Amino acid sequence: MTLLHVLVLSAVLFAIGLFGLLSRRNVLGMIMSLELLFNAAAINFAAFDHFLYPDRTLGQGFVLFVIAIAAAEAVIGLALVLKLYRHE
Amino acid sequence: MTLSLGIFYAFAALIVGGALVVVLARDVFRSAIALAGVLVLVAGLFGLLNADFLAAAQLLVYVGGVLVLMLFVIMLLLSPQNQLRHQTNKQAISAALMSGVTATFLIVQFYAFLRSDAPAMEGQPSTAALGRLLMGEFLVPFEVVSLVLLAALVGAVYLSREERP
Repeated sequence: MTLLHVLVLSAVLFAIGLFGLLSRRNVLGMIMSLELLFNAAAINFAAFDHFLYPDRTLGQGFVLFVIAIAAAEAVIGLALVLKLYRHE
Repeated sequence: MTLSLGIFYAFAALIVGGALVVVLARDVFRSAIALAGVLVLVAGLFGLLNADFLAAAQLLVYVGGVLVLMLFVIMLLLSPQNQLRHQTNKQAISAALMSGVTATFLIVQFYAFLRSDAPAMEGQPSTAALGRLLMGEFLVPFEVVSLVLLAALVGAVYLSREERP
């Protein structure tokens, strides 16, 4: 397993998530595709941290921030979805 | 091909397949379940990259928090007529047989694994280093993220409250 393997995986995951974000008609599906995008970015951070700077944990710290921001995004997005559907 | 490369290929195939199901499934509930699979597999990938604390955080925050929240919303919005149908099909006997065989196989394998010499773990746990990072170099972003989470909480409560005339 080299850095390139993981980067290719994260690029493919990012592309799939982007496709879903652009092609989904349902708001919930779009939020799920966004989670895929966040995960691709997090995999990138963790891979660079593991392969290039194994003695520092900076990349893993960034992944923690990514997870926290994704949680906040999901909460706000789902509250908006509830509001939207309640008004219909 | 080394063992870790094989495990990585298996993870990668499952992650890409699950992501395709998330994106292409017609039923939102089905794509949510596929998303759960993808998130668990990404946690496994973090474990493969020697990021044990990240794997635990991914499981706790994503699978335990975000995804359960999503399933709540989906079930709130879906029509409840699905509950009236039968929840099991006519393959109960073969399903029980299959799961029994699987359980026996797993127990035998675990027993054989514990009797043999377990391979040594490589890499150090990264939790202590991460804690030092968050309390030292990343202290200001850490506090800002807690403020962001508080703002998200207040915003979600504000958005989803009932409107009174």
